[in-house]
Amino acid sequence: MVVMVLFAISAGPTGSSDLIFLLRTAPALPPRLLIRRPVSRRSSADRPRPASHRSSSAGSARSSGSCCSSSSAPPPPRRRRFLAGGSDAGRAVATRRVLDMGAGENNPLGAQNAWDMLSEEQSQKHITTGSGDLNGILGGGIHCKEVTEIGGVPGVGKTQLGIQLAINVQIPVEYGGLGGKAVYIDTEGSFMVERVYQIAEGCISDILEHFPHSHEKSSSGNKQLQPEHFLADIYYFRICSYAEQIAAINYLEKFLGEHKDVRIVIIDSVTFHFRQDFDDLALRTRVLSELSLKLMKIAKAYNLAVVLLNQVTTKFTEGSFQLTLALGDSWSHSCTNRVILYWNGTERYAYLDKSPSLPVASAPYAVTGKGVRDVSSNHKRVRVT
Amino acid sequence: MEERMNQDQPSTEGRCGRFWNGMDLLKDVTENKHFLPTGLEGVDTLLGGGLRQGQLTEVTGPSSSGKTQFCLHSASHVAAKHMGVVMYLDTSNSFSPGRIATIIDGTPGLFGQRAYGVQLLGFDLQPKDVRLKSIMRNIICESVFDIFALSEVLHQLEVSLLNDKEKNGGSRIRLLIIDSISSLLAPIIGGKYPQGRAMMISVAMTLKKLADEHNLSVLVTNHMVSAGNGAVKPALGESWKAVPHVRLVISRERGSNMCTATVLKHTLLYAAVFSFPPRWFLMYAGQQQQ
Repeated sequence: MVVMVLFAISAGPTGSSDLIFLLRTAPALPPRLLIRRPVSRRSSADRPRPASHRSSSAGSARSSGSCCSSSSAPPPPRRRRFLAGGSDAGRAVATRRVLDMGAGENNPLGAQNAWDMLSEEQSQKHITTGSGDLNGILGGGIHCKEVTEIGGVPGVGKTQLGIQLAINVQIPVEYGGLGGKAVYIDTEGSFMVERVYQIAEGCISDILEHFPHSHEKSSSGNKQLQPEHFLADIYYFRICSYAEQIAAINYLEKFLGEHKDVRIVIIDSVTFHFRQDFDDLALRTRVLSELSLKLMKIAKAYNLAVVLLNQVTTKFTEGSFQLTLALGDSWSHSCTNRVILYWNGTERYAYLDKSPSLPVASAPYAVTGKGVRDVSSNHKRVRVT
Repeated sequence: MEERMNQDQPSTEGRCGRFWNGMDLLKDVTENKHFLPTGLEGVDTLLGGGLRQGQLTEVTGPSSSGKTQFCLHSASHVAAKHMGVVMYLDTSNSFSPGRIATIIDGTPGLFGQRAYGVQLLGFDLQPKDVRLKSIMRNIICESVFDIFALSEVLHQLEVSLLNDKEKNGGSRIRLLIIDSISSLLAPIIGGKYPQGRAMMISVAMTLKKLADEHNLSVLVTNHMVSAGNGAVKPALGESWKAVPHVRLVISRERGSNMCTATVLKHTLLYAAVFSFPPRWFLMYAGQQQQ
């Protein structure tokens, strides 16, 4: 199987931009990983020829790709082992890997059987959104290892929810949270620090309300419940163009390799820079698909939640204009879960539109001075539509 | 590049592959290429039994129409009836083991059955967890996030299947599911260079070869793109249309749990006029109904 054709160098303005996204972000390999393992020669004759052929072409593809792309995390070890093995040793490794589930701490992207994944999934904590009803329809909160897209009309509270999640992920483990840090990528400039401070204060006061006595008993090693510490653990990136956005997401992998306690990545308005600057819609689709695959990979590899906030646009379907999420049909397949926020009269509602394990449902929520909370009324019921 | 292309030319008779006569083919088809039921009765009726071994089935549909649920149901059913190992390649982190456990718990008639040639001895005495564990250990999930990783995984799979064939006389893997092959191919298809399409066709050929030689059933999902004037069509373009043997379109009305499946293309139907009334299948209640 010929793999190297994708790396043909081409000239021309549109050609080069195509090229950037055709190239795989192959990492710069340290020299020792490219050395083949010493293998016995006797079985190479009856090895099917395409295997060694493919390994050499893929190896050359990697080395040619590495000169043109930014560096990222070192490849998982299983790939190098596979390329080096062209004999029984390699086949044994491949067999063991496919059927014996080589995933684990050091190889989160490997194959796993469903039973192991079930036990992992059940022991995982979710990031609370602040509103009990909203947590209920989401199955406990925002899931880690998944990409959640939240879309809605302007003013319905997307940024508020994003900021609330950035604070809630930092709730310490002893109070039921994840105790992690947050990465906030802001493309619109709607991240108001004073509001973040207010939400952090609201979160702390709620924690102290629920756990009134443990604050005095906390050991000296715990994080002090101060809003300043919550603000200090949010890594903020301000993005001003689509190229910066692509670069930031490429850089994220390296960043997350260095900061292993980040548990959520929020991209406030992933659509903003892609709506006005792109004339070529086909190119935009390709770029966005590549972006979403990278985000999926980051979510799985670093065990964190990725939250994408999206805007709405109007679409002419079935004879009338309807509101749909921006970026087109192909982007709607790029997330694991989707939540749509909408107004119903004077109340804000959230509707779970897409989920692999939960049914569609909607729930009300409110944006208060302390952040996103439940609607404080007597008729609190989750409406299943 | 010329040398490599010439190296690919078959130079000996041994590489040409054996030739089959009609009776060999018929024997192969009746003995090896069975239907794997998906557990959704409407779909099984529509497909004439289920997902056929040796064939590539494509399920396409708009967003949130039930494609991933279709894949999860097929995987659970094949594992629950002990037909073999299921390999699930997931590109959007949508493989939900909790959902698989829920589906398996609802599967009727697991005990005391002679399923697919394997006698289940003593299973009715085992507690629920142990049964669930033994079933779920037969579903292997791997995440792939780009097309090169997919090619590698398929190659490793080919190697291990060949190994299995030599040692055990047949492979344990029966069903290969790629949930959303279109999201892997979307970044490279389009534009003025044909290399992306070449990659797509080479992956398609690998999948069909795996299906045919090792009696796997391959299930892939695709998404929809707009076709102008508000209509939608399956993604991946004209070159992909010829690739799958069977193509299904799923749709779901907003706010409902009923999904509708329609057949777009099928190789086994030999009538001149095809009429495919859509069949409905209920997803979330955990039952299988028409």
